[in-house]
Amino acid sequence: MFQFTQSLYRLTFIVAFLLFYNFSVEAQEKLNYQGPLSVGNYTGDANYAYRIIDSDTLFDGPFRLKRANLDALLQKQDYTFDFSGSFQDNYPNGFWKFQFGQFQSNNESQVVDYQYRVAISGVQEEASGNIVLGKPDGSWIYSVNKIEDSKISETLFKSSIIFDKGIPQQNFRIENDSLILAGRFLRNGLTHDEWSLFDSSGIGVDESWFFNDGLLQKIRIESSGSIDETPIYDNYAGQTKIINLDSRYIEALAIYQYAILNSDRPVGGKMQSLLAQNARYYKKIDDILSELGESSFLPEFKVKVPYFPFSKEEEQQINQILADYNAAELISKSFLEDTQLNILKLSDQEAAFKYEVINQISNDVLNPLKQLVLFINNKVLEFAPRKNLLESLWNETKPKSEFNIEVALDSVKINRTFKLQSSNTIDFSVFDLKTMQNISTTILANLEAIKAELNQTLLNEKRQQELIALEEKLILQRNEMHNYIDSVGVESSGNIKRTLNSLKKHADNALSNYSALTELNTKLSAGQKLLSCYLQINKLAKNIAQLPEQEDTIKEKYKDRIWNPFMATLMDEEVKKRITSAYRKFIIPYFLKHAENEFECNQVNQLNDLMSMTYQRMLELRVENTSKLERKLRKVTDPIVVLELFELQPLTTDQE
Amino acid sequence: MGSYKKYTLAIVAFLLWCTNPSLYAQDIDGELLPSASKFKDPKTKIWFNTYGNIRISKRLFWVAQTHFRFEETEDTPFIGQIGQIYNRHAIGYIYNKKINASLGGVMRINFNTDESSEDRNVVPEFRIWHQYQFAQPVYSAMIYHRIRIEHRWTQGFKENSEYIFRNRWRYMFRAKIPLNNHKLEPKTLYISPESELIMQSGKAVVGSVMEDLRLTTTIGYILTPRLTVAGGLMYSQGQTLENAGVFKQNWTMRFHVYFSPDFRKVKNKLPEIHLND
Repeated sequence: MFQFTQSLYRLTFIVAFLLFYNFSVEAQEKLNYQGPLSVGNYTGDANYAYRIIDSDTLFDGPFRLKRANLDALLQKQDYTFDFSGSFQDNYPNGFWKFQFGQFQSNNESQVVDYQYRVAISGVQEEASGNIVLGKPDGSWIYSVNKIEDSKISETLFKSSIIFDKGIPQQNFRIENDSLILAGRFLRNGLTHDEWSLFDSSGIGVDESWFFNDGLLQKIRIESSGSIDETPIYDNYAGQTKIINLDSRYIEALAIYQYAILNSDRPVGGKMQSLLAQNARYYKKIDDILSELGESSFLPEFKVKVPYFPFSKEEEQQINQILADYNAAELISKSFLEDTQLNILKLSDQEAAFKYEVINQISNDVLNPLKQLVLFINNKVLEFAPRKNLLESLWNETKPKSEFNIEVALDSVKINRTFKLQSSNTIDFSVFDLKTMQNISTTILANLEAIKAELNQTLLNEKRQQELIALEEKLILQRNEMHNYIDSVGVESSGNIKRTLNSLKKHADNALSNYSALTELNTKLSAGQKLLSCYLQINKLAKNIAQLPEQEDTIKEKYKDRIWNPFMATLMDEEVKKRITSAYRKFIIPYFLKHAENEFECNQVNQLNDLMSMTYQRMLELRVENTSKLERKLRKVTDPIVVLELFELQPLTTDQE
Repeated sequence: MGSYKKYTLAIVAFLLWCTNPSLYAQDIDGELLPSASKFKDPKTKIWFNTYGNIRISKRLFWVAQTHFRFEETEDTPFIGQIGQIYNRHAIGYIYNKKINASLGGVMRINFNTDESSEDRNVVPEFRIWHQYQFAQPVYSAMIYHRIRIEHRWTQGFKENSEYIFRNRWRYMFRAKIPLNNHKLEPKTLYISPESELIMQSGKAVVGSVMEDLRLTTTIGYILTPRLTVAGGLMYSQGQTLENAGVFKQNWTMRFHVYFSPDFRKVKNKLPEIHLND
């Protein structure tokens, strides 16, 4: 009985499993989408089949994305496209056709067979062929045609390449409006035999590259009868590496030539431009297919190059050279372009010397290193014999530890020698990456030492300049105050005159204290403080000189015009006399006392604020209801209490 | 200025009317006019007058005057004895800064200064009065024209004497000339010459139409816009009621205090400054 139950459970489980399994198979069934879709820059109407696996959309089955806009065409011009083909498990697979068009219309239409027809002109790109699992397979033709009145008028570009799962095979042909390139590949995709480039007009230059199993032997250029043959890797028998025929390959050719012949003549002619044009068109398709699914559509033309691999140490040395060079270049550039140093070197011999050292290091050491870094960054360093290459780099200026510097100052020329520090360990006669790294490290260390010295000089110079400017301002402020006080003092009353004179005295005392300082840094900070103080004292002097005028304004303001019935005239009557007299009798003397006795910038600042606020408050009190205030003022004689009654903040020293 | 011309014309007409000879009675109850005018000996008097103008609104003020008038007697030759106590009140209306008018009443208390008299010592006198004052600036000075009309009920000191009713017609011309300033304002000393003609009419007035002609000069000092003091000397003469041919004469020292408080709240005062000019 027990066994039966167990078997029943087992059966139920199996049935349930099958049922669910069926469901999951069901879920993988193909779906169809019809509607708008964006792929990269292309947005149009799509119609495709897909499956959903783990909430990812996988293309599977026919695919089409197209766009054509008649309105746009009639208005101005239209960009059309039409991509059709099919996917298998998200890989493009099967026959694909790509069309790109850029058309204008002449706005003339006719009706033919119940259809409106509009003639168009423009450019039509078309590519078609088979794709196997994302890679071109079989014959692919990519053509670009010029269209006039709906007919092909000219072929602008056409390439026919045969692929075997992405690898180019047999013969190929690429042409544009002026050049025709034809060549062949081995089965493994390596270039072989003669690649010929003809000028389709028949009057230009013909170019032939001769490959042997992927290795370029020579380039022959035939121009109006004369033949120029350049051997490339002619007799090379060492280690090689297979790379793609692209711009890096051209660089590799150039660096090899540079290393062997010390020649920087460009290698080849127009062939690579035509190949690059072809690559651009293929990339266009690759971009679309990669956006949709898995693909590697770029045609890989394989070539062999001589290969000089890096050892582990050399790889580290390369990284060190890159880091050193970038830091050294930054330092030398910043100083050579520093305006302050460029001015200082005209008058300061030491600065001029250091400037020239940096300049020479930049020319004689950093420039060759720059070329080396360029090779490293372009990833072609390993494609040339290292020793030859480095010797070529240092062909013009040999690496050295001593620099002869000529400093010309005020038409007097002085010759000095700059010796690189810690350069004893470098063997300048050996041209390898280790020496290069030693040079770059030493140069950086020396530049950093110069930088530290120069920065100090420049900082001191800058401070000195600042101090001069600061002192000029100080004197200006001091004189301005003196002149101001002298000019207003003549008309001022005794108290005010006395206060103003004591301000003058305070300011002069502070200036003489300041001038007793000697240390540059303390002087600078003290000077800055004094300047801000002077600005405040200047303001205070103005505030004090203004007091009588303000008092008059207040007096005028606190007058009421009243009608005297006996005289039948209007008379001025002083109102709120307790307020005005408290201001006159207590507050103003309080201000003057503080201005006379205190010379803390803080206090001066506060006093200035208090004076302005008090004046404002006096003007406000005129219109406020002050009967209570006036009553309270009756017995008050302390200016601090008066200020508080006026709702003003007395100076902090008085509050403590 | 046109309005001043009008006022001047009105005043001249009034004066002409007052001096109309047909109003003179030649003979009253057998009292004979003397063949030539007789002038009594001048009496000396001292007046202490307070004048209050208390502002009660934008256009109205309360006139409150109290005068103490002393006159000489044989026993008290100089300061004299109290003759009259005046209580003059009115409500004034400010038409504009230069023109105002008042209407009110007076209660005067007359003391019997005749030492030989056996009659009552004190009798009241009542008046209704209204006045119109016009001011005018002339250079740094001010001139004033004042027309005051009084309706007066008086009685003699005799027991049970009847009230007699008279009208008084007064015109005063006055100037106030600042002495130490270019205008009348606080801390200013000024001189004020004035002349006032007081005419009267009524059944009891027979011939004695010129009750008083007062010629005064005072010197005043404006302490504040609300307080002024002044002092001066007045000569006056006029026909006695009993006999138009007999003239009384007075020399009066006058001491005045003028005050004009304003108890209104500040916010009510503010707009009134310029009235409507």
